Amino acid sequence: MHESSKSKPGTTLISSYIGAVAVWGVGRLLIRFSAESQWLPTWVHAVVAAASVVPLVLFAFWLRRMLASDFDEMMQRVVLEGIALGFAIFLTLAALYLNLRAGGVYVPRLDPPDLVLGAAMLVALGFAIAWRRYR
Amino acid sequence: MKNRLRVLRAERRWSQADLAEKLGVSRQTINAIETEKYDPSLPLAFRMARLFVLELEEIFQPESVP
Repeated sequence: MHESSKSKPGTTLISSYIGAVAVWGVGRLLIRFSAESQWLPTWVHAVVAAASVVPLVLFAFWLRRMLASDFDEMMQRVVLEGIALGFAIFLTLAALYLNLRAGGVYVPRLDPPDLVLGAAMLVALGFAIAWRRYR
Repeated sequence: MKNRLRVLRAERRWSQADLAEKLGVSRQTINAIETEKYDPSLPLAFRMARLFVLELEEIFQPESVP
């Protein structure tokens, strides 16, 4: 990850972030499926739950190191713009969702983890948009 | 902001990767500056000026001078 992050920092940032979120999402789907069908014991759910966030933890450490020393000024700006853009889109969609639900319009029921996943994917989209702007 | 980075680099027969390495930034950053999608910070602009042995104004010019 380190060598390619120097030669293609934007691509590495987006792909490793999406990969980490995807692993978390797959772990969550597995746990939900198993919990509903009582397929796996609870202790396995706990192991999968912990294991599925390991890539996100690694990504957090990697991002901290890259921001502190390896990302140049443009990449730091891409990260900042990506997070800001993702949050702005999330805020807009969340406001729309709340208004539609308050108005009695049919909207899918979302658990807090679904909302977190949505925000995470929007941040990934924000990274991609910000990176594309400077390419 | 306009700049002459591509010309100055070509005169020295440096690739974008060469210039990026000399300045300690990524090749993508050099490309974004050359295509005027990104304006460098003052410290980076001064490093460029020092590298090319030029004044800042000889590399960067504002879009429109009042």
